[in-house]
Order: sequence, then C-alpha cells, then structure tokens
Amino acid sequence: MSNRFEVVGIRPLPEQPVQKEKWYRGKPLFSAALLALIVLGCLGCRLLITVDPTYMDLSRCSVPPSRQFLFGTDTMGRDIFSMIWYGGRLSLFIGLAATAISTAIAILFGAASGCAPNWLDALLMRLTEILLSIPGLLLIVLLQAILGRANVLSISLVIGVTGWTGMAKIIRTEVRQIRSSEYVLASRCMGGGFFHILWRHLTPNFVSSIMFMVVMNVRTAIAAESTLSFMGIGLPLEVVTWGSMLSLSEKALLSRAWWIILIPGLFLVVTLLCITSLGNYLRKTVNRKQSNL
Amino acid sequence: MKRNRMVYYGEKILVFILSVFLLSLAVFYVSRLAPGDPLVSYYGDRVEKMSPQERAWAEDRLGLNAPIHVQYARWLRDAFQGDFGISYKYKMDVVEVISGRIGNTLLLGGTGFLLIFALSLLLGVLCAWYEDRPLDRIVCKIGTAVSCIPEFWLALVFILLFAVSLGWLPSSGAYSVGKSGDWGDRLHHLILPLSIVVINHLWYYAYMVRNRILEEVRADYVLLAKSKGLTKKRIMFRHCLRSAIPSYLSIMAVSVPHVLGGTYIVEAVFSYPGLGTLSYESARYKDYNLLMLLCILSGVLVILCSMAAQIINERIDPRVRGQEETSEVTKL
Repeated sequence: MSNRFEVVGIRPLPEQPVQKEKWYRGKPLFSAALLALIVLGCLGCRLLITVDPTYMDLSRCSVPPSRQFLFGTDTMGRDIFSMIWYGGRLSLFIGLAATAISTAIAILFGAASGCAPNWLDALLMRLTEILLSIPGLLLIVLLQAILGRANVLSISLVIGVTGWTGMAKIIRTEVRQIRSSEYVLASRCMGGGFFHILWRHLTPNFVSSIMFMVVMNVRTAIAAESTLSFMGIGLPLEVVTWGSMLSLSEKALLSRAWWIILIPGLFLVVTLLCITSLGNYLRKTVNRKQSNL
Repeated sequence: MKRNRMVYYGEKILVFILSVFLLSLAVFYVSRLAPGDPLVSYYGDRVEKMSPQERAWAEDRLGLNAPIHVQYARWLRDAFQGDFGISYKYKMDVVEVISGRIGNTLLLGGTGFLLIFALSLLLGVLCAWYEDRPLDRIVCKIGTAVSCIPEFWLALVFILLFAVSLGWLPSSGAYSVGKSGDWGDRLHHLILPLSIVVINHLWYYAYMVRNRILEEVRADYVLLAKSKGLTKKRIMFRHCLRSAIPSYLSIMAVSVPHVLGGTYIVEAVFSYPGLGTLSYESARYKDYNLLMLLCILSGVLVILCSMAAQIINERIDPRVRGQEETSEVTKL
C-alpha cells in the first residue's frame, strides 16, 4: 500500500556536468597585475635605477636606446629608464592626492546638499550643473595658466578642486534616498551630529556607487597632470614626472628622437588603461535580458 | 498657457544673464588676484628696467592701479558700450584680435563636431547591430583603449608618424606662409588636428548611442513589430533609432563645449592659430581684457548649449519640466 501512487514515465536525465566557475573569470587580472608591477617598480625605484635620474649629462644628449641606456637618454642627457621609475612615483602620487581632494569635496558637498532643505539643494545642484558643463581639462589648464608655475601640491589642488562635480551629484542622489530611513533618524534622535551620521551611516551606503568614479578620477588626474606639464605650465623640468618628461617632446620631434616621446607616453597610457579596466570592473554590471530583435 | 510660456522663457533669460555676470566677476577676480605681471605682456622685457615712476605711469595708463571692484565696474560700463578694451600683447582692440582667429577655431571645432556627430551614430548603430559578436567586442575594446589616451600624446604620436617620419602632412599651423587664402592648403593642415579631435571624442558618444539602442531593442514594441513580420533592418532604423535620437541630440548639445575644450588642447599642440592658443597665451601672460572676452565667449557657449539640452529634454519628456533634474553626462 505504500506505493499507491507510482510515478511513471519519469525520464532519467543524465547528470549535467557542473561547469565549475573559474574564480578569475570576468576579473581584470591582467590589468591588475600590470598595474601592480608598475606601482611596485615606481615605489622600489631605488633598486631599479642605474643612473641618477636627475643628473644631466650634456655630453650624451638624445642617445638612442642601447645596452647602457635601456630606453635612451632625453635631450638633457638624462637616462629615461631611471626617470620613468623615479618620475612615476610622483605621477601616481599626484593622481592619488588630487583624487583624495576631489572625493573629500564631493562627499562634503553632496552630503550637505542631500541633507539640506529643498531650496538650498536646488541652488547647490544648479551650481554643480554649471560647473559640470565646463570641460574639466580646459578649466584646469586655464586655472593653472593663470596661477603660473606650480609645485606638486598646488597642482594636485587645482586638479582636485575642479573634479568633484560628477561625484557630488551621485552622492547627493544617494543621500536623499537614505536620509529619512529609520537608522539615520534614530541616530539623529540620539544626538548624532552631521559628521557622525555622514561617516557612520551615509558613507558606507554610497561608497560602492562612487567607487567607480573615484578610480576614474585617479585616471583623469594623472592625465591632467601630464597635459599640464607637457604644455609647460605644470611641474618644471627638474621635477621628474611622466608629464614633465614629455614636455621635452617638441625638441625631440625636431631631432626625430622617437624614444623620448613614445616610451614615457607608453608607460602613461598603459597605466591609464589598467586603471580604466579596474574602474570598469568596479562599475556595477547590468544584467541585460535577451534582445527582442 | 501663453503667459506660462512667457514666464518660462523669461526665467531662462534671467538665469542666462545672471550666469554670464557671475562668470565675468569670477574670471575678473581670479585673474587679477593671481600672481603675475600684466605689464610684461605689454612692454615686454623693458619692464625690468622701469623706474617706479614709469611703472606707476604705465599702470595708470592701463587702468591697473585702481582697486579691483572699481576696475570691474569700469570694465562692465565699457563692455555695455561694446568696448572690451585692448589686448596688452597685440595692442589692438580685443574684438579685432579674436575675430581674426575665430574662423580657424570654428572650422576645426565645427567640422570636428559634425564628424563626431555622424560617425558616433554610425559606430553606435554598428555595435548595437552586432551586439556581443566579435565585431562589437573588438570595437568596444579598441574604443575604451583609445579614449584612455591623453589627447596631447595622441597628437604627438600622429605628428611623429605622419609629419616627421612619413612627411605626408604638415605638423603645425593652419596654413603655409603666404597661402592663407588657399583652401586646399588649409585642408591639408586641418587633417591632423581634426583627426585627433574626432578620435579622442568619438568613442564616448558612440558608446552612448550603442547603449541607448540596446535599451531600445529590448522594449516590447520591438516584439510587436517583429511579430508583424517587419525585417530586422526596418525595426532597427525605423523604430529603435528613431526613438533613440532625441536623447542623443540632447547629449550632443551638452557635448559642444567638451568638443570645443578638446579643440583648445589640440590647437595648443599643433600651434594652430585659433582661440585655444589665444586663451592659453592670454591666461599665461595676464592679458586681462583678452582673457575676459575669451572666457565670456566660451561661457556663453557652454550655457547656451546646456540650455538647449534642457529644452530638448523637456520637449521629449514633458515630465522633466517640473523637476530640477536634467540630463546628466557622466564621464566614461
């Protein structure tokens, strides 16, 4: 009686071999490794460099790549191989410092605007929109040209101060969504100040949505620094960065010294590419449904 | 309804005037408070040998000794009468200096913008058509890579390749000496800067078109059209593309200043005699009057374009009108 209802016609399905998802699928391993290599090389430049990167040997200007000078020398007789690792440190530092500044401004501004009453919020957002519609690089170049010669900190400041608008808008939208949730209200009732709430309750909620922009800001900042230095209004020639190395390129064009232009630029571009692919990975991936077409 | 419309446009005009005023105020103060000596651009190296009396006389002549707010009021008064002052470096009316150069920039920027407009639409549709197939993937990869390259370095590489090594194209300027009227020569000089401007901006907009169409392709009306037996081509071009175009137009309106900004940098690399080189020089050598007018011109363009985008958005979707949000362009 136990098998009163017998199931018939069951079709035994062959066991589907479970595709083991490789842990590295869809992760930008190659770019991460390459970026790590470049960063490590720059940090440990003391071990890599063969010649003092700031020493100008005027008897050996524009020597093409050879065994002694792996990447050749520039028009001032400095060894490019040493300069790349030595100058990369500063380029990366400027990227990070400028991003730190712009992120700090964006968080403060965005959170303040998100918590503010409606009329103030509208006013602040109008201001952001106007700033957002000005091309960033143009603003940086003009500002720096007006200010004249720069040092590492002032250049980071100029880049940081101009690059916060997009992020502030996103933060403001996120803050407006969570500002009246129970835990924020509870914290406020218990006497939590603005900065306490911002740091303990708001930031953890919007950090994932701005991560992508933070990474992209590092990229923009490095590119902006190199553009400024190339145009001769950024860091002076004696301060070695990838950008200031490229500021010699006009002379290099005349003497057809391709290595002075291509090699530092290649390092710059590869770094930017790696950062971009890391950033794209951080962006929330949208799962698309099947196309109807 | 009619009155509403009046109020609506009145508000827009008011915002426009206010923005231009604030912009001019900001540029005026920032440029004058920044370190640097405007006399150098007027008198050149002679400034160093000037006695204090001569200096004071020169400053008085250029109107630089008054407090900044007085100077600003004076500038504003003259500007309303159409007198924007003289350029310290060129010693001409700034309007004349700019009108001599603006044609070159409009040629470069305008052609660049049209090319970007057409090509990004084409490339975006192409990628959407071949979604996730090898062609789309390759184009996406290349596009992302190219959009990472700083504009000036791309320009350098192109000069190195096409001007120095191959010698096909000239590396700088807008025309050869004494050939300013020759259009063939001008076009020859335009190729390199133009291709840099286009290549640098193209992918950003093409990617937007691609994503917009991919959204559109997933809508239900496509299913309906398909079940009615329409061909894939017809659905894509007659239906999907048509509904994607308005939002593309509004994005392109916002993009005008961005393309222009790109033009400015490219001009500096190619020493192309346009507004970009001019504004860079004027900012660097404290040519105040010139800088003011250039910034205001660019600012007016920026504001007009974002207003155009806003109006397009409201036309597409009347719901936007009540809200404060406008289309937002986040950088790739």
